[in-house]
Amino acid sequence: MNEHQTRVMGEPSQLPRLTRFLRDFWVTAALPPEAAHPFEVALEEVFMNVATHGAPAGRPAQVAVSLRRDGEELTLQIEDDGPAFDPLTLPTPNVYARLEERRIGGLGVHLVRQLMDAVSYERDGACNRLRLRKRVARTDAAGVAGTDRNRVG
Amino acid sequence: MGAAGEVVMSGRLDATQSDAALDFLAKLDRPEVVDLAGLDYIASAGLRVFLLTQKRLRAAGGGLRLVNVRPAVHDIFRYAGFDQILDINRAAG
Repeated sequence: MNEHQTRVMGEPSQLPRLTRFLRDFWVTAALPPEAAHPFEVALEEVFMNVATHGAPAGRPAQVAVSLRRDGEELTLQIEDDGPAFDPLTLPTPNVYARLEERRIGGLGVHLVRQLMDAVSYERDGACNRLRLRKRVARTDAAGVAGTDRNRVG
Repeated sequence: MGAAGEVVMSGRLDATQSDAALDFLAKLDRPEVVDLAGLDYIASAGLRVFLLTQKRLRAAGGGLRLVNVRPAVHDIFRYAGFDQILDINRAAG
């Protein structure tokens, strides 16, 4: 089992740091590069929600991110100390609407749900905790790259 | 710009790049064909760029055609239902 953690301020400018954190973990854990995209997107969507909407009064939120691999399952956990907010309660956007009816925004959490195998939220004291899980095979697993069988939809 | 006058976008279209990308597309009168062969990442901030651009062009009677879209990026367009409102062509292979 590998687990890596980092902490950043909940500001949009910190997004590249989190991307580097995820990529470093990917290399260390010998995961297939092509399987990183869903996790990068999910991390960006959740973090940007916190950075743009989830600040406590008067200061940016503090955000803690951890990645843990258990066998073929990867767990991405994102915690922040902003006001209680469960993004999984947001309404699902109508992805079949005509162009004229499409609204800006609201797609981020929808993408996270589509890209991950499981998504859960809990409020723990003063902390929002979002846990995202998805199966990702290792590149050294008997010639199986794993991305095809992880593909959703 | 590509050899045939098409728009070429590459790299990452994340929340830190999307405003610049939108500004870039806004300067073009008829960015109908956009080659995304070199675009290896997109998130919802990038989707917003294409949605706003498509709305603008459709209002003027035009529209975007995205070509050579990589599989991982194509998945994001499809999950968001953008294959319903944009002409999107996957990269071969």
